[in-house]
Amino acid sequence: MRRALAGMGTLVLLLVGCGGSGSERSEITVLAAASLTGAFTRIGADFEQVNPDVTVRFSFGPSDGLATQILEGAPADVFAPASPKYMDQVRSDGPGVTDQVEFARNELAVIVPSDNPAHVGSLDDLARPGVKLVLAAVGVPAGDYARGVLANAGIQKGALANLVSNEEDVKGVVQKVLLGEADAGIVYRTDVTPDIEVRVREISIPDGENVIATYPIAVIDGSGRTPVAGAFVRFVIGPGQATLRTFGFLPPA
Amino acid sequence: MAAQKRTTSGVFVVLAILGIAFVTLPLAGLIQRTPWSRAADVLTSDSSLTALRLSIVVATSAAVLSLVLGFPMAWALSRSSFPGRRVFRALVILPLVMPPVVGGVALLAVFGRRGFLGAPLYDVLGVQLTFTTPAAVLAAAFVSFPLAVLVIEAGLRSLDARLEEAAASLGGSRWYVLRRVTLPMLAPQIAAALVLCWARALGEFGATITFAGNLQGRTQTLPLAVFERLQTDPDGAIALSLLLVALSLAVIVGLRERFLPAP
Repeated sequence: MRRALAGMGTLVLLLVGCGGSGSERSEITVLAAASLTGAFTRIGADFEQVNPDVTVRFSFGPSDGLATQILEGAPADVFAPASPKYMDQVRSDGPGVTDQVEFARNELAVIVPSDNPAHVGSLDDLARPGVKLVLAAVGVPAGDYARGVLANAGIQKGALANLVSNEEDVKGVVQKVLLGEADAGIVYRTDVTPDIEVRVREISIPDGENVIATYPIAVIDGSGRTPVAGAFVRFVIGPGQATLRTFGFLPPA
Repeated sequence: MAAQKRTTSGVFVVLAILGIAFVTLPLAGLIQRTPWSRAADVLTSDSSLTALRLSIVVATSAAVLSLVLGFPMAWALSRSSFPGRRVFRALVILPLVMPPVVGGVALLAVFGRRGFLGAPLYDVLGVQLTFTTPAAVLAAAFVSFPLAVLVIEAGLRSLDARLEEAAASLGGSRWYVLRRVTLPMLAPQIAAALVLCWARALGEFGATITFAGNLQGRTQTLPLAVFERLQTDPDGAIALSLLLVALSLAVIVGLRERFLPAP
């Protein structure tokens, strides 16, 4: 009993310690598209190294869901969705944004499990009956871009008939292909990270049929930590660019 | 002493009021935020009706499956003593307390295309369970099965075994005794198990989205539809949520009046 109490006491002390370590520290919350998970985690760590008194917290998810969270009043300082559409939404229906700038672009790609059970060799194969295709849901940028690709290729009808799941965000698509449950999925090229390169095969989409995703970033109005948030945005468009390149993102137009 | 007693009961009353508020306020919030003018449109939209229909099919199948598998299990747990009985019992209850998403991952490991049952199923018969309605039923049954076992086991334990013994001594076969004596006496527990399993299956989310995916008309049950809508149309999601609350409430009212002991 006494030991349990002592344990709880230590835990409380630890929690208090974490919460109140000096008044100098500031903490910013960045809501970013799921596709930015790898790159932004690295950029956040680099930013913290340059600014030791700042902690960057990330919430990665589907851009539409993140926009909804901001409109619902979730505390957030920086927003980086995978489409300008959701930045516009926050500007017009939500708290508003400042310092908006486009910082990266991305292309889409088809991925299949490494054993390629459905023998998918090209984008057009996605419309072949029996191929189990997974996409991000409509409204999620990756889902909308993917449907744009299918429309560009003129295989929308056949491919959507093969759809077996609408995933919450693009990482859900990666996961279902990685697990080998889906025969194919459409994701961002940057989702084929070194970690998963051996377990999935990437099938490139012809240039004429591909869709370019653009990523804006901005400080959310009323953030309360605007200077730090602004510094983070400048870091992303400055030193962060090199990191974004390593993760396969294209430079802004 | 009396003053101390009064203070204690005062604290209890305050905590009880907080407890009631904790449960009812979110519901009130849901009702307050419901876009009544749009609610009818949302609830009668194709996607909502499809999700509702699918949810009823999935929850009903899962409840029946839980009962069919759970009854013999409950029987074994209550009527016989075999080595490791307590371990079995703990294992059976596990899905009840396990995070559903972990259940989904576990189901993938077994029934997924690369799972140890799913792989031969796919390689030999070409059958893939994931992304199908039966997968959604399995996910829901996985989490509701423990309820069936627990309720039926409790029922079997409270049964007067002498009635069964009497029937058997009068020459009734085991099957006859089960059919004519045990099952009729257990009817209330069987009904309660079905309803509880149904309610639990209706609310299943984590295991379903992990194991069965999310496709309208095939695996998108009401909770998944709420979640998807919440990303783009929070008001619509609230209207759908209210439908789920109403269904759950109906279950409680139905249970209360017939099967749960009234205070």
